[in-house]
Amino acid sequence: MRPSFFHHLHPPTIPAKQSRWRYTLGAGGTAVFLMLVLGATGILELFYYVPTPDQAAQSIQTISYLVPFGGLVRNIHFWAAQLLLIVAAVHLVRVVFTGSYAPPRRFNYLLGLALFVFAILLDFTGYILRWDEGIQWALVVGTNLIKTIPLIGNAFYVVLTGGTQPGLPTLIRFYAWHIFGLALIVIILGVWHAFRVRRDGGIAVPPPPLRVDKERITRNELVRREVLAMLLTGAALILFAAFVPAPIAQPISDITIMAGDARAPWFFLWVQQMLKWGDPFILGVLVPLIVLAVLALIPYIFPKPADGELGKWFPRSNRLAQIVLAVIALLVIILTIFGSLPAS
Amino acid sequence: MKRFIALGSAILLLAVVAAWWTNSRQPKPIVLIPTLTGKPEYCLTCHSDLREISPSHPVKTFGCVICHGGEPLALDANLAHSTMRGGANPSDLSVVQESCGGSNCHSGSAADNNDHIQRVMTSVQSTYAGAIANILYTFGVEPDLTARFGIHAVTDDVITTTTGLPALQVFDPTKQTNPSVLKFAANCLNCHINAQPLPGSQFDRLTGCAACHTPDVESFPKGQIHELTTAIPYTQCNTCHNRGNYDLRTMTFVQRTDQPLPTDRLHNYYQPIAQFTKCEYTLDCIDCHTRTEAMGDGDIHSNMKQIQYIQCQTCHGTPTQLPQTKTLTDPNDIAFRLAQLNPVVDLKLGDTILVTSKGEPLWNTRVLPDGTYQLVGKATGQVFTFKPVMGSGCTQNGIDQSSAYCHTCHSVQR
Repeated sequence: MRPSFFHHLHPPTIPAKQSRWRYTLGAGGTAVFLMLVLGATGILELFYYVPTPDQAAQSIQTISYLVPFGGLVRNIHFWAAQLLLIVAAVHLVRVVFTGSYAPPRRFNYLLGLALFVFAILLDFTGYILRWDEGIQWALVVGTNLIKTIPLIGNAFYVVLTGGTQPGLPTLIRFYAWHIFGLALIVIILGVWHAFRVRRDGGIAVPPPPLRVDKERITRNELVRREVLAMLLTGAALILFAAFVPAPIAQPISDITIMAGDARAPWFFLWVQQMLKWGDPFILGVLVPLIVLAVLALIPYIFPKPADGELGKWFPRSNRLAQIVLAVIALLVIILTIFGSLPAS
Repeated sequence: MKRFIALGSAILLLAVVAAWWTNSRQPKPIVLIPTLTGKPEYCLTCHSDLREISPSHPVKTFGCVICHGGEPLALDANLAHSTMRGGANPSDLSVVQESCGGSNCHSGSAADNNDHIQRVMTSVQSTYAGAIANILYTFGVEPDLTARFGIHAVTDDVITTTTGLPALQVFDPTKQTNPSVLKFAANCLNCHINAQPLPGSQFDRLTGCAACHTPDVESFPKGQIHELTTAIPYTQCNTCHNRGNYDLRTMTFVQRTDQPLPTDRLHNYYQPIAQFTKCEYTLDCIDCHTRTEAMGDGDIHSNMKQIQYIQCQTCHGTPTQLPQTKTLTDPNDIAFRLAQLNPVVDLKLGDTILVTSKGEPLWNTRVLPDGTYQLVGKATGQVFTFKPVMGSGCTQNGIDQSSAYCHTCHSVQR
């Protein structure tokens, strides 16, 4: 069978052991699928969404309740976005816990991390586009956090919001970032990331002399597995979207009066929890940036995973990196759980 | 593997069918584009069974949102109702300006007789100024009976009567020390249409305009009727004015023990001690008490007596004078508007009706060709005829009568 374009994106053969579910967790491929779903559903939403403060929430009501299958499309978009963050995090954890970031894949690790950050920003900007009372707290507090950055904070705030408080310019900017700026960056980084996977020699495995298991599968088999993953992910998304609606709330009546849910979106709950403890700049800006820096430096500061230990979970040679990531992940999860508890 | 893919495809297909099924179970939206707003609203998707609120507010013209607020596009009950004004009652005085106001609606000018909100906000019905002033005077806090406080603060820029006050401050119980006044503050500030009623079905009533204009409060809170009317029956007035009495000794509200008794009109009607209880039970309160008396004249008054002015002579005249009448020659006369809102009489140009000393038309009366008078019950449509006292041998002096004297004759003795 002559390989199609889709088959051509894959190497002719792939190591059998490293293409198992239990090794990859299917995370990278699922992330690509979710991005495609987000693109498709996002384009459909564009036909109805109105990016102005007085009409945004109403246009989302129109999408949710009046456009045929609009609610389903919006719910799929929402759940795909949330799942993307989880899948991307799982992918990151898998890469570190298998030592797959080892050279020559260090740069691609950074590309992946950047993609993760931009996915979070896309999720946050999309969340703000609702412009209803459910997002008001996150919008006001989140943007005010920018002001706490020394020297450039106030200027950065104006660049981000287009004024002295959130309003029409803010919504237009978040809209432009969401559907164009950030989306374009993610497409470029995503293609680059996928390209680098192949340029760096495909999935990380020990060099040929050290390889124990030499069995390989064809790309046809790999594509079949990807199709299966897509089918199951798609089914899960549709079921979730059909029965669990995406959050929606009443339109913001006055941006200066705090109303509605005073809770950050779930992926920023850990930051919100820290904000309760003290200085907003240190805890709300600096600490998350330090966490990001530590993640970015993992391939550069920790001992290089041994060649012979590549392609399997928990190599001894990069135990330190695994522990550091596990601690960070655990802290973020614990803070998120505390942050999600109702305020006492 | 191919079997797995087949299975995966089947699962996806099932998911799509499930999504389709859920989607098909959603209510089919019913759109309404009211002519006044021109904006679509989907309230009727769930509320198509609601009756038209009044002939003056047809739903095709007004829709729902212009009065009730809410999210017109939402088909989720919680979201749709989240921004409603005043909950189920948009006429609550806290939101009445947004719901019922507007220069073409009920906050227009006094000249156009569209200043209903201004009149109600300043009236004793909503300020409770009379009771507060009386209590403060009785217990020595204030030197006289002039009202200084209301349940809400209110000002009036245009004073048209001699008893009108420029402003009332909000009555703040925390600034009071007299134990009786404090008790009054704790127990008695629930009266009047700007205050929330006490909990308990015996205190059920609505607030704002609906307190009077939305009838059949008996079924409340199971669901009050979606209706506004000017044909207000005595039962509506009784939701406040016949529930019991104040006990000034304990500063509590003593509920009537024989209430609620769905007996007959006679027994359900009268409070045993107050003078107005001796009323003619076949009449409804609004057959005599005018709109100015009930809703205020736009001035802030110190008590009810300053606004009540209907006397025996208003309808019956004095031994030397016939009651004041007016022949309707202007098609824009307010009498026609009032008669149209509650069409119990077919008022025509050229009809002669009784008018009060302040010129308010008693639009449900008519001077008959034989010199007698006719009154049609505003809530019942019942027709009464009556005579002037002039030439009847009646010797009383009409000038000396206060408003309450009407009830000396319009009474039943139980």
